[in-house]
Amino acid sequence: MAASDSDDSLYPIAVLIDELRNEDVQLRLNSIKKLSTIALALGVERTRSELIPFLTDTIYDEDEVLLALAEQLGNFTPLVGGQEHVHCLLPPLESLATVEETVVRDKAVESLRKIAGDHSSADLEAHFVPLVKRLAQGDWFTSRTSACGLFSVPYPRVSSTVKAELRTNFRNLCGDDTPMVRRAAAGKMGEFAKVLELEYLKSDLIPLWTNLASDEQVQNDSVRLLAVEACVSIASILPPEDLETLVMPTLKNAAEDKSWRVRYMVADKFTELQMAVGPEITKKELVPAFQGLLKDCEAEVRAAAANKVKEFCENLPEDIREATIMTSILPCVKWSFSLQDLVSDANQHVKSALASVIMGLSPILGKDNTVEHLLPLFLLMLKDECAEVRLNIISNLDCVNQVIGIHQLSQSLLPAIVELAEDTKWRVRLAIIEYMPLLAGQLGVEFFDEKLNSLCMSWLVDHVYAIREAATNNLKKLVEKFGAEWAQSTILPKVVGMAQDPNYLHRMTTLFCINVLADVCGNETTMKVLLPVVVKLAADAVPNVRFNVAKTIQKIGSQFDATTINNQCKPCLEKLQSDQDYDVKYYAQEAMSVLCDAA
Amino acid sequence: MSAATGPVTDKIDPFSKKQSVKKPKQKRSQASSRYKAKGGTELVPLPQLKDAPPAEQHELFIKKLQQCSVVFDFMDSVSDLKGKEIKRASLNELVDYITAGRGVLTEQVYPEVVKMIASNIFRTLPPSENTEFDPEEDDPTLEASWPHLQIVYEFFLRFLESPDFQPSIAKKYIDQKFVLQLLELFDSEDPRERDFLKTVLHRIYGKFLGLRAFIRKQINHIFLKFIYETEHFNGVGELLEILGSIINGFALPLKAEHKQFLIKVLIPLHKAKSLSLYHAQLAYCVVQFLEKDATLTEPVVRGLLKFWPKTCSQKEVMFLGEIEEILDVIEPSQFVRIQEPLFKQISKCVSSPHFQVAERALYFWNNEYVMSLIEENSNVIMPIMFPNLYRISKEHWNQTIVALVYNVLKTFMEMNSKLFDELTANYKAERQKERKKEKEREELWKKLDGLEINATVNNKEVKSVPPTSTNTPVAGASPAVGTRYAPYSPTAHRLMAK
Repeated sequence: MAASDSDDSLYPIAVLIDELRNEDVQLRLNSIKKLSTIALALGVERTRSELIPFLTDTIYDEDEVLLALAEQLGNFTPLVGGQEHVHCLLPPLESLATVEETVVRDKAVESLRKIAGDHSSADLEAHFVPLVKRLAQGDWFTSRTSACGLFSVPYPRVSSTVKAELRTNFRNLCGDDTPMVRRAAAGKMGEFAKVLELEYLKSDLIPLWTNLASDEQVQNDSVRLLAVEACVSIASILPPEDLETLVMPTLKNAAEDKSWRVRYMVADKFTELQMAVGPEITKKELVPAFQGLLKDCEAEVRAAAANKVKEFCENLPEDIREATIMTSILPCVKWSFSLQDLVSDANQHVKSALASVIMGLSPILGKDNTVEHLLPLFLLMLKDECAEVRLNIISNLDCVNQVIGIHQLSQSLLPAIVELAEDTKWRVRLAIIEYMPLLAGQLGVEFFDEKLNSLCMSWLVDHVYAIREAATNNLKKLVEKFGAEWAQSTILPKVVGMAQDPNYLHRMTTLFCINVLADVCGNETTMKVLLPVVVKLAADAVPNVRFNVAKTIQKIGSQFDATTINNQCKPCLEKLQSDQDYDVKYYAQEAMSVLCDAA
Repeated sequence: MSAATGPVTDKIDPFSKKQSVKKPKQKRSQASSRYKAKGGTELVPLPQLKDAPPAEQHELFIKKLQQCSVVFDFMDSVSDLKGKEIKRASLNELVDYITAGRGVLTEQVYPEVVKMIASNIFRTLPPSENTEFDPEEDDPTLEASWPHLQIVYEFFLRFLESPDFQPSIAKKYIDQKFVLQLLELFDSEDPRERDFLKTVLHRIYGKFLGLRAFIRKQINHIFLKFIYETEHFNGVGELLEILGSIINGFALPLKAEHKQFLIKVLIPLHKAKSLSLYHAQLAYCVVQFLEKDATLTEPVVRGLLKFWPKTCSQKEVMFLGEIEEILDVIEPSQFVRIQEPLFKQISKCVSSPHFQVAERALYFWNNEYVMSLIEENSNVIMPIMFPNLYRISKEHWNQTIVALVYNVLKTFMEMNSKLFDELTANYKAERQKERKKEKEREELWKKLDGLEINATVNNKEVKSVPPTSTNTPVAGASPAVGTRYAPYSPTAHRLMAK
């Protein structure tokens, strides 16, 4: 390499290694992070013969340093001379893959997987696979845990004898004495299944998987839990005729496992499982299992299942979809929602999960079913004591709206909205505001003026800034819907009135409103009604208001003709430019230069 | 609604009203996650054991055990009150019966007893009510079925402690699987249950020799999972307490397995966030090991130094406490082996800006034994400690610390006045040397960086190497280069404007 030839003596390895040995951890860490620079200075040959052996020997350090090292080495292939020499990186990474700390080990495995791709097939067999085997047979559980992640990368590229060895090793890891190792093996089973030949998948891996999935030791529901994850990959690879005998019994057991964590996992992966096993098995096996999960005794499980209701129903085969929903799913949903859980409020999560997805069923079921079966449920949810439940219904109303129209709902909707608009949680209020323009469009101007207008104005003086901000943007959208005339008669008087409010935050809100309304109200109104208010506020006692005046003029100035700019805007800005406050001056100057540029 | 008028000014004050949003805290109890507990079995009161003729007592005892295997739903506090009361009375009777009666533990009784205990206590623990449960702040969720569970545990203990109890028969039923399930329960949030479990497991460990190795191994697994995977397990403290007395009984010389447990499990346990919950028990275990075998001192101290807290001052104080406990029992020959790295750390602690850390480290000088060790090795320790002490004596913000540092410097002066004078005289020169070295480092890296830039431009082959050099400036780079002023933010100082 060019660099190494130029001046070796400049960078004796001792100096560089001194840096890697520095007493201060932070300095050591910095040096390791620049390991590629050091390697570059040394050139490929000396990197191989001096630097890498040094690194291999000195792997006892702070985990943070080791983590950086593990990461660096994954990108080192070109620095040691490319493909034919890449295997010299294996020894340090092998040591790193055995350390105690999980993040270091994981990073080492990641880097090993990365450089496995840089190996030739011959080198994989000569160097990489032996490393995997050594790790898989290591004394302490850490090396065996790391080994689990190293099977799927080399497997497709080695000879059939070596493949057989790899399978044997993986099998041993699945039956390891330590639960940590079994967990790691269960976690990697899915990816290993994907590279395995079908016959071995059936003869080797499936029995192992079944074993892990029934890991009898009570302590290790964590193993069974990971086996559920692997189930998705395995089921998607196997041909349908094998699914029923090889996969389904285990899956059914998992759905009824005595540990709620395993059942939760099944519920959480349910739609993925549904896609993997296909429509026939879904019909026969998954629908009952799903019913069971929706009625589970643990709220966590019910909530996870509830979240999947919509997607599950959408993915049902068309011929049975409606019937299944009506006869199997909906009754469970109703049951689950009305379940009285006296002490714990975990039930609240189930309810809000249901509320957020149940609306999605409306398009699937069509108008008649929605009116007859879903509507009562929606109304029930709208009256729920929990704000989140009501909110989830309201924010998903558009689905139903498309099916049955909003007038059916408006009467029962309104009290709920008014109540939510004053909820103590500002995020709830925010969500309601965001829904306002849509509602306004549906309900029409009269209804809106009568019922909702005062609500929209009250948000402008909310004590949370995010709400005030959202309220101003909401006004803009409303004006876009109802027109400038409506704005002038209904909104502007209030906005302008707030300019005299004793609270400076409210006076600023006036300015913020003007910023967004100027556009939609038209030039005429802006000039006649809004600009005078802005100019007047330039004399405000609070500097924040004054520099916001400058900002507002900068924003709306482009709407005016030259006379207005020269006669009203500029004098005002000139005055602000000589303000005693630094920030006011700054923004006034900025606004001035923008106005001048435009003109 | 008149938004612009009225006394809204108060309402808008951003600092008021926040508190009102938070829900009042309420004491909770929680049911165990029992999957599809079967209902519908109505309990029929049985005659009292003490009223039954002796010939029938045995059979009645078994019947009562079977009756007590029925589990009730305590989340519904009003359901089946009659049944619950019958079971409670039966359980109490059972406790009395095996405590007072002799010869009641016949061979046929064992499977029934274990079955009754298992069906009551073994269950999948429910999901935690509070996902961000902080054991130091929050009240634990209590087990709802405790009225029954407590008597079952009570019964279990009496059973194990009964003079008639025969482990040779019991081991058929109290086997590895039973123990595994028992260990699982240590994760219970209810401290009352964990306390019972602790005694129960201790008794089992004492009476079932065949299970000892297995129990130790499974505790290992629980700890390792806690350290490296979940960082969550409620019963770490209780398990450590049991281990404390187990370690006490280890035979000498220590087996390799036990040493491995110390180095690979107990030491890494110091890493976990929730250390404060079990630190006392952990430190006790560690010191127990050192008292057994002094040669373990070096790996233990080096291990602690490796896991020394970087940012958590509270944990740092705990570490210092443990170090002092170790120093209390250290052998002088071992002290020599670890003094250098150890006092480098202590020197850092002494100059910590957190005064509790500094104070805790300086307290070492009040410990007579530690003082004598320092005195013996003053030629090594003084040069390590001196620069930081000297600096701190001039610039620490806390006057108590400054006073303590003066005392330490005074003891050094008395210990070895010649060395002390040398160190004082060389202080400035040493600092200059350090600065010079720092500069040289910087130069070196500048050259290397230049090289890398050239190489990336010239050499296509290395293009794939990410330019890491730009990510982190070398620490300690001269302030002229390193310091950039944040752009002036006009609103920052406005927050209080009104």
